[in-house]
Amino acid sequence: MTSGRQRRRVVPDYMAAARLTVPEHISVQRTTLVYIAPDAATNGLDPPGSHLLALLRDGPLSVYECAAHLGLPYCVVRLLVAGLVGGGTLLTRDPPATDLPDIEILELVLNGLRAL
Amino acid sequence: MASALSDSRVSAEHIPVKLVIAGPFGVGKTTIVGALSEIKPLNTEEVLTQAGTLVDDLTGVNEKTTTTTAIDFGRLTLPGVVLYLFGAPGQTRFQVLWDELVRGALGVLVLADTRRIDESFAVLDLVENAGIRYAVAVNHFPDSPDYPLESVRQALDLDPRTPLMVCDARDPASARASLIALVEHVRELVLS
Ligand SMILES: Nc1nc2c(ncn2[C@@H]2O[C@H](COP(=O)(O)OP(=O)(O)O)[C@@H](O)[C@H]2O)c(=O)[nH]1
Ligand SMILES: [Mg+2]
Repeated sequence: MTSGRQRRRVVPDYMAAARLTVPEHISVQRTTLVYIAPDAATNGLDPPGSHLLALLRDGPLSVYECAAHLGLPYCVVRLLVAGLVGGGTLLTRDPPATDLPDIEILELVLNGLRAL
Repeated sequence: MASALSDSRVSAEHIPVKLVIAGPFGVGKTTIVGALSEIKPLNTEEVLTQAGTLVDDLTGVNEKTTTTTAIDFGRLTLPGVVLYLFGAPGQTRFQVLWDELVRGALGVLVLADTRRIDESFAVLDLVENAGIRYAVAVNHFPDSPDYPLESVRQALDLDPRTPLMVCDARDPASARASLIALVEHVRELVLS
């Protein structure tokens, strides 16, 4: 485990290496699905951006899965994803924003679990 | 990382749904996430300041030391929805992380162990303070005392409507039954 001091220095370096700026308002969450934009230029990124894109080549993943596979804390990957979304490389599928779950979603979950 | 690349993938049409599994150390969180998940459960770190604040704007953090807490993470893809399971210890000193984890979650499955029932109080306090819907599953261990569920309900001071069941976290069918009880409860609350 690296110390907090080291970690904080490392993080902005990642962003700089990937040539990303962090947007002011970030809507990326743990369960946000991310995938590569169809028309995105995916070459020329430095790690860890290039690692993230390699991970997403097979299809969408949640931000949390990306963090685990990259071996980086969620708070780092969240910024990385936000930067790449801002640059048009990644697209997202956001989780439902409502506090009260949608009845249709609940039915999908129940039917799916019962059918397993 | 190699295993990740050969994993099954969801489509961008799937609706991401979050479920939290909470309970004290050793209660079976890692086990139940493993029993439910279609992927090898992942272990991720959350970075917090010692004061318990989430580190989410790294550029803004100054000289506070950070600490980390491990989260179990699993995935279960169903038609139209993908469930993301977060196994979290639910410690009161990580209130901020907890609030963020449960925000937008469908509900929380609280795991309890009758050998150490008092250790569930902190988790229940967090869940109730967050105002999130929940159910309680009691994991039975070989040396668990055989209390009737009604006395467990009393000991935990649960509402009569809160689902309470016995669960074997190692058994996928039992784990799924607990989730179904939770989601049925949430549906009743939404419809009422
Ligand atoms: N008999 C029994 N053992 C369990 C059950 N759930 C977990 N265990 C065992 O209890 C131990 C601790 O479980 P673990 O999932 O690591 O707990 P965690 O600290 O909450 O993640 C492991 O050895 C599990 O195999 C259960 O429902 N029944
Ligand atoms: Mg564990």
